[in-house]
Amino acid sequence: MSTPMPPLDLLESNDPVAMPKRVALVRPDARATLRRTEERWVMTFPNLILREAIVFQIVVIALSLAALLFNAPLEGIANPLETPNPSKAPWYFLGLQELLHYFPPVVAGVVFPGLVVVALVVIPYAKVNLSARPLWSGDKQQTRLWSGSAIVLLSVLFAVFNCWPIVIPTLLVGAAMFSVSGDGQGGHFRQFLQKVTLPEWIMTWFILVATVLTLIGTFFRGPGWSLVWPWNMYPHA
Amino acid sequence: MNGTPFPRIGLWVRESALYRSIVRHGAADTNRNRSLVIFENLFLHMHPVKVREKTLKFTHTYWLGAVTISAMFVLIATGILLMFYYHPSVPQAYRDMKELKFVVDNGVFYRNLHRWGAHLMVLGALLHMVRVFYHRAYRPPRQFNWVVGVVLLLVTLLLSYTGYLLPWDQLAFWGVSVGTNMAKEAPILGPPIRFLLLGGNIVSENALLRFYVLHCVLLPVALLGFLGVHIWRVRKDGGVQGPPEPPADPEVEP
Amino acid sequence: MREADEGMAMPPGPNDASRREFLAQVGLGACALTIAGAALTVLDFMEPKVLFEPPTEFKAGNIQDFPEGTVRFDEEHRAYIIGGQGGVFALSAVCTHLGCITRYHADEGAIACPCHGSRFDVDGNVVHGPAPRALPWIEVKADAEGNLMVDTSVVIPHGKVLKV
Repeated sequence: MSTPMPPLDLLESNDPVAMPKRVALVRPDARATLRRTEERWVMTFPNLILREAIVFQIVVIALSLAALLFNAPLEGIANPLETPNPSKAPWYFLGLQELLHYFPPVVAGVVFPGLVVVALVVIPYAKVNLSARPLWSGDKQQTRLWSGSAIVLLSVLFAVFNCWPIVIPTLLVGAAMFSVSGDGQGGHFRQFLQKVTLPEWIMTWFILVATVLTLIGTFFRGPGWSLVWPWNMYPHA
Repeated sequence: MNGTPFPRIGLWVRESALYRSIVRHGAADTNRNRSLVIFENLFLHMHPVKVREKTLKFTHTYWLGAVTISAMFVLIATGILLMFYYHPSVPQAYRDMKELKFVVDNGVFYRNLHRWGAHLMVLGALLHMVRVFYHRAYRPPRQFNWVVGVVLLLVTLLLSYTGYLLPWDQLAFWGVSVGTNMAKEAPILGPPIRFLLLGGNIVSENALLRFYVLHCVLLPVALLGFLGVHIWRVRKDGGVQGPPEPPADPEVEP
Repeated sequence: MREADEGMAMPPGPNDASRREFLAQVGLGACALTIAGAALTVLDFMEPKVLFEPPTEFKAGNIQDFPEGTVRFDEEHRAYIIGGQGGVFALSAVCTHLGCITRYHADEGAIACPCHGSRFDVDGNVVHGPAPRALPWIEVKADAEGNLMVDTSVVIPHGKVLKV
């Protein structure tokens, strides 16, 4: 009489380290390595759908509050004979309008926006940032040389046009770039900066410039496109 | 089964032949029925039945795409309402603004909602793009979806810009005058494009009508078309891509 | 099915492939023609044939009204009529930068654009600012009595003053 086999327990787990599911053949000359932990999956309904509904509700509530508290602007009827002073485009074009103050229209209105769109489209195809190699991970001397000259060149170019709202962010981003060019160890922020890649530096520069230009155009430009404080923007006639 | 009348009415509706013909799945109380909620619904079918749990984390996407699309739904709804009271002609367009303000019930509220919703949609789309860039979510296989996203951003900006003219107030008129004069500076193609866009040499009634048609028909249709491709490809490319993961560990200590 | 029938009735000859290619090309060509025709007619359709824009020609008073140093801003027609040295000339008031309407500031003796801060002197030359070109001089004509007609659509060379 043989003893009956004990009943098998089926164990379920998502943790492959604790509960490996697949048995692999490990050759004696290789070590068993774990490529990727198995991911947890959840049902889209209700987990994702409900969250989306919540986002929608929050947006509707926030917009309703804004609509109750702030009125959309409405000025006098359009008059082709009378240009209001100052006359401004919607906020997302004010950076462009600010550029028009410094550059000829064909440069500010056509070349710059065109370059931005082309650069955006090219990003995924030019293999930008695929390897995510930090800027300062290679030959530091060479990186210092070309990135330094790029920053100086850009600054001089914009300074020729007296476009200080671009020169200053350029120099700031350049300073941040070079602050981690050395080998020294530092706090969390320094370690974070050391990991930043070149495309990320460029994008950060672009966002900073766009933000500065938009803020100046929105809040600091008064009659005759002169620099004013926000509270003096519309002087009483 | 229940004392209150409402669940009974709910049950009666759910068991009726009409409801069963429209909604083909039972209550979402089992995983099978939860998957059917997605499978059997045209709109939810944009989603897979299951998603990775980590993609639901707030810092994975900051829900910026969802915010943008939510703003878009608000804009479509309020935009249709505003169309009931709007004539794209001079000077009636401006009078309609006054009518919305002083005569129409809740007219101010829905106009405000449309205006602030437009700002939120542009802002949401911009932030969404920035988020995708820093998360490197444009990497293969998502290259083309990034390009579709750039197109969507441009269409969003155009929608907002064409809408800017419609109130026909000073702000609208001069904002659009300055903007279209920029196009004039583009070599060769600039002036004819501007002439066709405005239907004339200056911002006039023709321009108002053209911008109205672009704003209410052409651009929304383009937006919804590209948006369909965008969301469908998110699903095909394996769901939303969050922050880049550290490379798979070469060696894991057990 | 049909292909099979055809094949049965007539064994595939050496010309079959080229015939199919030809037919496919005819089909594609028809599609291309249709698209090109549609694009052209739509483009033509979109071009307005009648413009309801203010007339470019207007009366600007008598030449006697413009002694040297007068600058009159004709708001309706977006032009300056200016009494200059030994005659009269007219300037377009539309800023050459982005088409805003400029204003004459008598106290400064300068023409300024409110939009992006361009400034011009009374001859239309750019003093400073983003404007790429001087304000264009436009045609002024006088009849026998000295009544002036200005045409904003006709640009004349800089410095061509209408002699009194």
